[in-house]
This record gives sequence, C-alpha cells and structure tokens, in this order.
Amino acid sequence: MAAPGTQPEQDPDRTDRRVELGLGALSAAVLLLISFMIVFVFAKAWPSFAANGLAWFGPGGDIGDQLTAIFNSPADPEDYVYELRAWPLLYATALITGISVLLATVLSVLSAIFIVEFAPGWIASLLQPVVRLLAAVPSVIYGLIGVLVLVPFFGNHLITPEQKESVQYVIQLDGSSILAGVLVLTVMITPIMVAITVDALRSVPRNWMEGAAALGVNRFRALRTVGIRAARPAIVAAAILATARALGEAIMLSMVTGSIAFAPNPLDGLVFFFEPAKTFASEIVDCAEGLSVKPFGETMYAFAAILLISSAFLSFCGWYARRSMRKYTLQAR
Amino acid sequence: MSAHAQSRAPAALIERLRTAHRESWSLGDLVGVAAAWAAGLALCAIAAAIVIYMMVQGLQYLSISEMFSHPLPGLDQSQSGGFLDPILGTVVLTILSTLLAAPIGIGIAVWLTEYGKPSGLARAVESGVEVVAGTPSIVLAIFGLLVFQEGFLSFLSYEATDGVAFGRSFFAAAAMMSLIALPLIVGATREAMNGIPRHVREASYALGKDRASTIRRVLLPASRRGIGTGVALGMGRIVGDTAIVFILLGASLRLESQGDIPGLQVLQGTGSTLTTYVYNNSPAGEGGSPDKAYAAAFVLLAIVIVLNFGIDLITRGKGPSWTRA
Amino acid sequence: MTWKRPLAVVAALAVSASLIVPAGAAAKPTITMSGSTSVAPLAALLAKKYISSCGSCVNFKLLQGGSDVGISDVASGRVTIGNASRDPKPSDPGGLVFNKIAHDAICIVTNKSNPLPGIDQAGVQAIFGGQVRTWSQVPGAQASGTIDVYVRSPASGTQDAFQKVFLGSTKLFGGAPEKPTNGRIQLAVKSDPNAIGYVSLFFAQGAHAVPYKGVACTERNAKSGQYGGQRNLYMVTRGPAAGAAKAWIKWITTSPAAAAVVNTEWVSIQ
Repeated sequence: MAAPGTQPEQDPDRTDRRVELGLGALSAAVLLLISFMIVFVFAKAWPSFAANGLAWFGPGGDIGDQLTAIFNSPADPEDYVYELRAWPLLYATALITGISVLLATVLSVLSAIFIVEFAPGWIASLLQPVVRLLAAVPSVIYGLIGVLVLVPFFGNHLITPEQKESVQYVIQLDGSSILAGVLVLTVMITPIMVAITVDALRSVPRNWMEGAAALGVNRFRALRTVGIRAARPAIVAAAILATARALGEAIMLSMVTGSIAFAPNPLDGLVFFFEPAKTFASEIVDCAEGLSVKPFGETMYAFAAILLISSAFLSFCGWYARRSMRKYTLQAR
Repeated sequence: MSAHAQSRAPAALIERLRTAHRESWSLGDLVGVAAAWAAGLALCAIAAAIVIYMMVQGLQYLSISEMFSHPLPGLDQSQSGGFLDPILGTVVLTILSTLLAAPIGIGIAVWLTEYGKPSGLARAVESGVEVVAGTPSIVLAIFGLLVFQEGFLSFLSYEATDGVAFGRSFFAAAAMMSLIALPLIVGATREAMNGIPRHVREASYALGKDRASTIRRVLLPASRRGIGTGVALGMGRIVGDTAIVFILLGASLRLESQGDIPGLQVLQGTGSTLTTYVYNNSPAGEGGSPDKAYAAAFVLLAIVIVLNFGIDLITRGKGPSWTRA
Repeated sequence: MTWKRPLAVVAALAVSASLIVPAGAAAKPTITMSGSTSVAPLAALLAKKYISSCGSCVNFKLLQGGSDVGISDVASGRVTIGNASRDPKPSDPGGLVFNKIAHDAICIVTNKSNPLPGIDQAGVQAIFGGQVRTWSQVPGAQASGTIDVYVRSPASGTQDAFQKVFLGSTKLFGGAPEKPTNGRIQLAVKSDPNAIGYVSLFFAQGAHAVPYKGVACTERNAKSGQYGGQRNLYMVTRGPAAGAAKAWIKWITTSPAAAAVVNTEWVSIQ
C-alpha cells in the first residue's frame, strides 16, 4: 500500500532513508525470528515423524506407555526410542475442538441476534462490557472453576456407580472428562465470536432490514435470512478465530479433562462424555518437565508442529473463505 | 459496501409495518426468539456466576497480610505465607514484556503503514505477525525453551556447570510474552495510523517536514489512543497467560535472583506469577490449598478487570476530530 | 513528543525495580536441585535447617518434576543435584553418583471412610494391576462399588519403587489416572471414598494407611525395618559431589541436626 500523502519534493532526506531502513530492518528481523521459529520446530520434530512414518497418526498401544519408553531411552543416540501412535491425541483434539466450536457458534449467533434486535436497551448495553469481560478472563481461572466446581460435581453427582462399573475394566471415571472440557471451552471462546458477530450484524445496511419488514417478514426471520446471510463471512472468520483459540488451549484443558491420553469410545453411549482425554496442547503442558531428554523433547516438538500446521491451515481457510464470500457483498474485516 | 442512497420512510410507518404482521410468526420463529433470549441471558448469567463465585471464594480466603507476605517454601502450602512474590512476578513480567513489545510493535506498524516497500516484504511481515497471533502460547513457550537453553544465551538466565544455560528466567519469559502482545499492538497502531486522513500528512509535508519527523511529531501523537488501546490489550493477554510462565519462568515460589548485578539479578532469575501460583495451588498442581488458589485468582481477576476498565476509558474519550476541513 | 519523557520513565522504573530486588546477593554459591516429589519436602526442610546453621552460606533452588527428570537434569548439567527416590537403573546416564540420604516408606492409602485392615502382595497386584475392580471383592473393605485406583506418572521415582517393591512383574492398570505428585494422590484419596493409591509416608496424613503384610505403615516400623515397603532416597550428582554440594551432602549424612530433621517423617541412615 503506498503511503498516503505526497512524497516530499526534496531529494530523500538522509534521516528519512535511515529511519526507513531501520524500521524495515526491524520488521525483517522479527519476520526472520518468526520463520526461524517455524523452521526450528519442524526440524526438531522431524526425527519423531521420520521414525514412525504415517503410523504416527494411527492407533495402537497406550500413549502413556509409549511416552514412558521414549523418556527412558538409553543415552546412546543410536538407541533412541521414538515409537508413538498419536491417534488418541489427534482424536481428542479434533473432538473437543470441534464440539466446542459448534456449540460456541450456535450460542454466539443466538446471543448476537439477542443483543442486536431483541434485548431491551439496558440489557444490551450491559452485555457489551460483560462479553468483553468474559473474553478477558485468564484461562487458568476458567480452569480453576472447572476443576474445583465442575469436575467434582460430575464425579460425585452426575456419574452413577453403574456407569463407572460399565467401563471399569478399561478406564476409570472421576469427573475429569471431555464434557467438562467442552463446556468450559465453549464458554471461553463464545465471547470472542459474539463481539465479531454483533459488529457484523450491526453493519448490515438498515434498508435491507427495512425492505424485509416491508415484505411482511417478522424481525427474527428477517435477521435469520437477511442478517445472518450478510454476516456470514464475519461469522466464518469468527469461527476460525475461535477454533485457533480452542486448539491452543492447554492450561485449562489440562486441568479439567484428566491425565490419561485415552480415546473416548462413542459406543459407550452417554458414558462417552464422561471419559477423560488429552489434547496435543495439554499433553505438552503435562510433559513439559521431561523436555530435556532428547527423544522426548523431539516428540513434544512433533506435537507443537501439528499445532502449528493446524493454525496455519486455519489461517489459510479463513483467508479463502473470506475471499469466496466476498461476492455476497458485506466484507468481513 | 453496497449501501445505496437511503430513502427514509417515516419511522412511524416502518413501526406499523413491523407490528402489522405479528401473525406471521411461525412456531420456528418463536422458538428462535426464545433461544436468542435464552442465549443472551445465559451469557449474562455465566459471567455473573463466574465473577460472584470468584468474589465470594476469593474474599473469603483473601487477607491483606497474605498479599504482602512472601510465600514460605513449605510442603503444606496452606500454612506457608502469602503470595507477594507471585504478584511482583506478574508486575515485573508484564512491564518487561510490554517494554519489549511496544517499541517493536509500533516500529513494525509504522513501517507497514508509512513505508512498506518492497511490498513483498510487507506482505510477508503481515503474514508473519498473523501467524504469531494464531500460534498457541504453549508452542511459543517450548520454542523459547529451545532458544534460551543455548549456551551463548546463558547470560540471560542462569549458567549451570559447563556453560549449559538453565534457560528459564524473566528475560526468557518476557521475550516470548512480547510475541503474544505484538500482533495486538501492531494491529491497533496500524488501525489508528490508517485512520489519520491524508490531509494531515500533506499539511505536514507542505510545511517542509520530512516523513520521519512527520511520523514522530504528528502521526504518532495523534495515534496515541489507538496505541494505548493496543498496549493495554496486549498487557491483558500477558497478565492472563499461564503456559509461557509455566515453562519459561522456572516455577520457583519466590523471586530467586541470579547473577551479580543488582536489579538485573531479578530478571536473570526465576520466579512465579499469579497465574502459575493459581495453577500450582489448584488440584492440577500441588493441590494442597484451594483457598490460596482462590485468593490469588481473585487478585488476578481484579487486575484483569481494572485493565479492561482502563481500556474502556482510553477508547471512550473523544478522539481528535479530523472532520474540520 | 520528545524522547526525554519516555527515557525518564524507563529510568525511574529501573531504579524502582532494583529497589524491590532482594538486596545484595553477592557471589554466594547456589545449589539447584530438581527431581523427586517425595524427596522435595525433605530437601526443603533440610535446606532451611542448613541455611540457619551455616549462616546463610549458600542459596538453594528447589524444583521438582519426578525422579527421572532430576536424573536427566543432573546428567546434562542443568542442576547441581538431582533428587531421586528410586535405585539406579541400568538405563540411567553414565557418570552419576547416587548419594543415599535417607530411607523412606511407601504406604498404600485409602480414604478414611474405608479403613482396609490389611493387604498382602497378591492383593496389591490384583488391585493395581486391574484384575479386581470392585470393592466387594476385597476382604475387609467398607466401601462399595468400583475401586478408584490412583497412580503416579511415569517420571516418578515413587512409581518406580512401587513397581519394583510391590508389583514385581505385574503391569500397572492402564486406565488409572496418573498424578504428577504425592500431594495429588493424597488429595485424590482424601476426597474420594472409593479411592486407593500409594504415597510416600510423609503424605499419608489425612488418609488411612493400609497395613502391608500385617505390618502397619508407620515411622517406627519403617525405622525397624519391619515394614515391607521401603526404599532409598538419593541426591544424585554428576561425578562425586564437589564444592558447596559436597559440604551440603556431608552435612546431611553426618550432622545430628540433619538426622533430627530426617527422623521426623523419614528414616535417617545415621
């Protein structure tokens, strides 16, 4: 983008040149650092992927045992153990992130409709700072409430002894579960989406809504058809932002979803939601102390690489989605 | 934006049109409205529940003496002093990270808006900043460990035997934390500077100023509000982050300084912040004293609310009016 | 906007920051320890006593992470001493010296509402190996329903010692939640009436310690050697201990003041 305003007519002042070069060098340096980070993480992660091939993503064996074996690798680099089948982590990450984003999208669109159209004036102006507050609460506080309130509630009041017995030979249920994780994560990412969606709904041109009213459409349906449709790029952008946030959430999930990397089994029925699980991010947090052991560290970097690829992929999806929706007029910011 | 010329019908007519077709509400629409109400009220209820619960539990266990006494290294945390050090840790880390992030962020934003050549580099820098914005903080944290455990950077933390760097210190944590605040500062500054109309710049050039001093004396002061918002947003994120502190600050209960230079000692040393203190005292860490966790969490929440309020104050004030020709 | 004001602000911050700093830590040697969560409380108590008896002659830094983490940290030179609550293994890095500092007992614990009168090795293997999953199958149990087993994470020396001393060749039940520290197991057992777990003797307070092979898990029985679940606590150094670390370890193993500290909840080797 060319700088606004006209170029000064004098020949390039030396200070100007110097400032431009200085700031440019600064920006380039930061860019270099960021690229270096990406390259480095992948370079460190490579041995783990190379040793396992595509089976890295598959099922097989207990992740806890595999990580222990990696941690206890003999000191000789020739004998490093890398074997890992990360399917439970992949599955849990996709499951928890997916369900949370779905719930959050529904919740945030409904809330946005409420704020924009149906809320009485005082509630609407109250909700503005409320949403901002919810977005600003640190994840460790969400985790604290989750682990001190939700988890014991599930463990002592919601999970019946019969449910525990039904899976007792496979896994132990103690309240730390994907349900707790999903609930808290949804509450965490909804405020981000609400703010963006409200902005988008508010910038739908007034006469579109009035046109719908003139056609005899009631307020809700007008919003549902005209408003949401027009705000779709923004909702997609918000959903992608929320997904990135959900993927990277490590601390809260490590507090409420339990300490076993278990792949919850949908065939268990309702008990499925009470089973513990671990995502890539929370596994890194739980294993942070063992990073100094080389093959173990490289396995952790492999997890980080997966997270990096996912966020890059999400950014690309967002960019592509926004581009393709541009023809529906309203431009998402 | 394809808003065309507005033909304003009188408000009364519009209102009549709206209400005239109330019978056209189908069951689905009514359910939808009910759901919208439920969602909005649920959001209020959840926020109220969180704040009230934290207040009740926090105030119950908080005592002023705790806030100002050092934590004692005890096995049973419930008998062992307060959390002054974590508070100091939060303050020191936030200040240090902001001091790192703000100049770099403003510099990048200025370069992107005012200069921006070659444009390939500018696009790349923009994408890079966006990548950092989307990167989970846990990934930044373990990358930081990688970098700061290199021997040549051991002056930034503690040097153990044989030049192996410990890698965990306020410097290390602040360096990675600044990356978290960077995209927010860059974004807010760019928005602010882009909002300054051309004629301001043109007037400055017409008076004979070159671009550098225009930026320094006209544009940056005019963008103060936007920059302030960005910095405050960044500080909010820094205060609330746990993962980077957990991995890069060494998890020592008190501020343990390293090295010999007073002042710098603290920054080379390890410590904890309110976030890791809460984490460690919850059932996810040692778990021995949820009461300490509640008290510290309450203080943390109070800090975040105050910061948020500050952001509100900054953005609410009347900005410079550019509309006068 | 001049540059003077921001500079003044930064200078003021720097000055005030250096005032907060704990004053004048001159070139005092620092001993960093990391590793076992079972050794950590003992190390903290000993460190406090040592500092007061030698007149603040050294700085201590105590981290945790589990025995395996401590051993790997000290082998790579990241810390001065690695705390370990298990015996050396063949897979440990070379060049390490395991300095024994105390004996410790591992207690099997259940919730106070379920005071199991006793358990033998076969019982431990059946429960922690996952073959027996309901309390109704355990003689003397007052709880009913599923047994909630809590174990330690793989990096733990207590886990290692438990495996070696109690389980032998039986594999641990894979569905049991892994807790990273003794304190977490203590918390889990205290709050769950159906729980069973294992902790270092110090952490058995607040829960019911189950007699093993007919012998109660107490300080006295651990000292006399009657209790079957004993293990050693070590401070591991890279090569023989030197300098401040050597003086520190020597003080622990020879000084009567140190023995008094150890004998509170552990078993002194003096």
